[in-house]
Amino acid sequence: MAETRGPVSGVVTDIQRFSIHDGPGIRTTVFVKGCPLRCFWCHNPEALAPQPQLQCFPDRCIGCGDCVDACPQGAHAMRDGAHRFDRSRCTGCGLCARTCYARALVMAGEVKSADEVVEEVLRDTAFYETSGGGVTISGGEPLQQPRFTRAVLAACREAGVHTAIETAGHVARDRLLAVLPVTDLVMMDIKTMDPELHRDATGVSHERILESARLVGESGTPLIIRTPVVPGVNDTVESIDAIAGFAAGLRSLVSYELLRFHMMAGSKYAALGMACPAAELTPPDDELMDRLTAAAARHAIAVTHT
Amino acid sequence: MTATSTLYETRIKALRATKLEHTEEKLARYGSFDVDDHGYIPWTEPIAFEPVSSHPSGGCWGMKDIGESFRRWLEVHPVYIHPQSAIAGAWVYKGIPGVAGFELAEGMGAPDSPKEREARTLANYPRNWRPEDRPTHLYEKLVAYNTYSPGIGHPNHFGPDMTIGLSLGWGGLLEKVRRYRGLNSPAEGAADTTFYDGEENLILGMQAWIRRHVDHARAMARLEDDEATRENLETIAQINEHLVHGAPRTFREAIQFLGWFQCIDRMWALGGALGQIDELLRPWYEADTGSGRETDESIIWQLASLFFNDSHYSQIGGQGPDGRDLTSRMSFLVLEAMHRIRIPVNVALRVHDGMDRSLLRKALEFMAADGTGVDFALSGGLDEGFMRNGYPAGLARMRAKVGCNWTALPGTEYGSQDGTRLCLATPLLLAIDDALAADPPAPDVATMDALWQRYVHHLGLAVATVKAGKDIHMERQADNYPEIVLNLFCHGPIERGLDASAGGLDIIDLAFDGIGLATTADSFAAIEQRVTQEKKLSLAELRRHLEDDFESAEPVRLMLATVRRYGSGGSRADEWARRIAELWTSLVRDTPTERGHWTCMPGLFSHGATSGFGRLLGATPNGRRAGAPVSHSANPDPGFVPGGGVALTAKANAVASTQSHWGNTTPLQVEIDTGLMNGMGGTDAVADFIMAHNRQGGTLINMNIVRKEDVIEAHEDPASHPDLMIRVTGYSAYFSSLSREYRQPIVDRIIAGG
Repeated sequence: MAETRGPVSGVVTDIQRFSIHDGPGIRTTVFVKGCPLRCFWCHNPEALAPQPQLQCFPDRCIGCGDCVDACPQGAHAMRDGAHRFDRSRCTGCGLCARTCYARALVMAGEVKSADEVVEEVLRDTAFYETSGGGVTISGGEPLQQPRFTRAVLAACREAGVHTAIETAGHVARDRLLAVLPVTDLVMMDIKTMDPELHRDATGVSHERILESARLVGESGTPLIIRTPVVPGVNDTVESIDAIAGFAAGLRSLVSYELLRFHMMAGSKYAALGMACPAAELTPPDDELMDRLTAAAARHAIAVTHT
Repeated sequence: MTATSTLYETRIKALRATKLEHTEEKLARYGSFDVDDHGYIPWTEPIAFEPVSSHPSGGCWGMKDIGESFRRWLEVHPVYIHPQSAIAGAWVYKGIPGVAGFELAEGMGAPDSPKEREARTLANYPRNWRPEDRPTHLYEKLVAYNTYSPGIGHPNHFGPDMTIGLSLGWGGLLEKVRRYRGLNSPAEGAADTTFYDGEENLILGMQAWIRRHVDHARAMARLEDDEATRENLETIAQINEHLVHGAPRTFREAIQFLGWFQCIDRMWALGGALGQIDELLRPWYEADTGSGRETDESIIWQLASLFFNDSHYSQIGGQGPDGRDLTSRMSFLVLEAMHRIRIPVNVALRVHDGMDRSLLRKALEFMAADGTGVDFALSGGLDEGFMRNGYPAGLARMRAKVGCNWTALPGTEYGSQDGTRLCLATPLLLAIDDALAADPPAPDVATMDALWQRYVHHLGLAVATVKAGKDIHMERQADNYPEIVLNLFCHGPIERGLDASAGGLDIIDLAFDGIGLATTADSFAAIEQRVTQEKKLSLAELRRHLEDDFESAEPVRLMLATVRRYGSGGSRADEWARRIAELWTSLVRDTPTERGHWTCMPGLFSHGATSGFGRLLGATPNGRRAGAPVSHSANPDPGFVPGGGVALTAKANAVASTQSHWGNTTPLQVEIDTGLMNGMGGTDAVADFIMAHNRQGGTLINMNIVRKEDVIEAHEDPASHPDLMIRVTGYSAYFSSLSREYRQPIVDRIIAGG
């Protein structure tokens, strides 16, 4: 797989180490940028658009004005000692962020080479060894950048590191097929089996997603199906029962996980100049999560919840 | 729950309640205290005592005067028995008033209280020594290098072998002292018997003190209405009546003996260790539970009583010299007792590759429930390092954690550890001065080379000064501040008639700890990037900003602070950290001390002294303001990951990359959020994390599992969480008992997330 390394690069929003909820053991999770879905409860809004974006954190600004000089588009201005930002002028070049030592301006998304990412992933090999952990590519949608994802996973695998992806599954078949051979575990979200509701809640049809799940199931690559339990979308026994029933038919299914919705991304939306549509939602309580878990378990599959 | 176990549970709760009351009283009396919340009880009544002195100043130094004073002190020392404890005894003051430099005045503050720190100047350093013996000729250099803790005159920083005391008892120890006095000075009056006389006096004082507790226990029993409590007090009287002379025969007598040892060990020198406590007590446990004398519940209560008595350091788990895992039922009961009493206790779990994982898991489960618990001494780095000195694996495995950061062979190894700290950042500020004073000034391209050369020069001089101090320590300690307590529990001192610091012990490795690695490495990286590469400012401008403490230059300060930092991995700061750590190791280890040819053992450990050293240090090129704390041991500063986060694995890698590998420690400090620990797979992940750091050659992990919100609340209002316990560094303490400046770096670490 070495031929895919070197020149391949991807847009990465974050590399999170000591990640323990993105697959087995201690892992490093690489978050890539760009996602075809628009789930209104998304907690990684910085990973939706494929290109790098500027995030503004006004409470960190010290009013030095260096960004005004740095920006070729005139997107920044100082008025009455306060920083003003006109996002419509911003091209996402990142020059201002480089001069902002107060970290009030921070780029979401950075172009990184696969080699660079692999080097960082391999720094924690000692921890993967004792814990059975490894690398997970998440997002965003890792299969939106299939060459990059494949290159990183292939190199990690070559180094003896367990590889995983977290995908929404809404991708062309060939992209999934390109990555599966270098992937030890696929974690795939299924939000709902109701086609209309799926389109309303995520902006896309669920057909391709279900097709991807079947493809992984047939490939034999271990598969974990996950459902973020979101109020008004799928927080009913019927809804979860339907997804679990589908999951139970997937040959390589390892387990089904119910992930309790938490809105933890409020400040990220504001930093990107976006509204947060799920700000008012309340996380499901323990009783409901237990009930949904029990409903799913009736399909004779391993079920857990957070 | 049976009636018996309810009784023990009630007793443990009573001990815990009293501990909290005592801590509250101590806080009201002394203000904050930035050390372990030792088991001494607050005492307000005057104690009629006058030490013996043969020194013109009226001070009390040397074995003869000290032995006699110690005996007199024990003869008048208050008696204390908590009616719900399994054992008698407690100490009331830190140090013996008027002896070896401790204040004579009643109501002295706890050591390391702000009052004490203020008083701690080099002008009378070390205060435990006669004025004429103090190394005044070194003061100037020690001040120049911000080395107010050069380790001269530090007592008790090694570990006893308590099997000696447990097998002989006080009577047996007395006989041993008298026998060797006879052997080593057969003709009466023909030789100096001061050493033995001092030890004899200590034991006689001890026996008198125990006898008074026997009477006190009986008097309390007579007045006691509750039958179970009365019986308990009568039992305390009986076991102590035996222990005046006899060696312990039962588990409870062994615990009582250890309790007495803890009292005199602390009141003498504030140090304190018991060694491998599970293995030490296992034979008594097996015998007494086998015969039906004790149950696991009564054993837990007795262990909790020992922890109430004092927070001495001890170890569980680990390996025997043959490599077999030492985990036993006793190891689990020690954890259980810590969990039940939930007060600061200093037990380390020794981690090795083939260990019983269920013990590690149990320790973590209790930590998640209690916030803090054991710390983790790692054989991976400790054994390998110690063996590089030429010692066999069996010996390395026998070392036990006997202090905040240190590990020693019980009763055999003199390390003088944890008292010697040297600031790694101060030489850099002096190097900058040198580079700017050069004529002609060094051209910019050569600045880093020039700076490094001057840094090597200054750090070398600082190390040499401290080594000169080590020679003086070894020459004069026994005559000033002898190891009168630990000599009794070591292999050699009594047999030879020589103090542990003066030939009594065979293995000598004088520990030496660097402090502020991240501050220094990040500073080098900031200069390299902003001054020499990007040329954002000149070295002279940088120095001006440092002198002005970044006054009106916040953008400059932030520019310096946002260079990729040590810990982020693969950065220039990581390179500088490794280079500095290697230099440190080489300077400390490669050459022995000049006069005594003592080997020194390098490590990177700050204790809680980050504030103390920081207060005396000007602003640094990493954007740290003057007087702010320096970085903690070899840990990266909070927020070291690009973007301001913390990754535990990155932190562990950084600390592993800067280990000295000679058997001293360079601890890893981590704070873990309770939510993460309690979430799915959290305990296993943390256990795997510990095992991985052990394999990396790590030496010690100090860990807190806390709710961030609790710590922030307790920082603002300490009274809101009076029982919140925190592992400050190698020791546990009530968070509310720490001064604000000690709490601040802990809060910063926790807010940064690890």
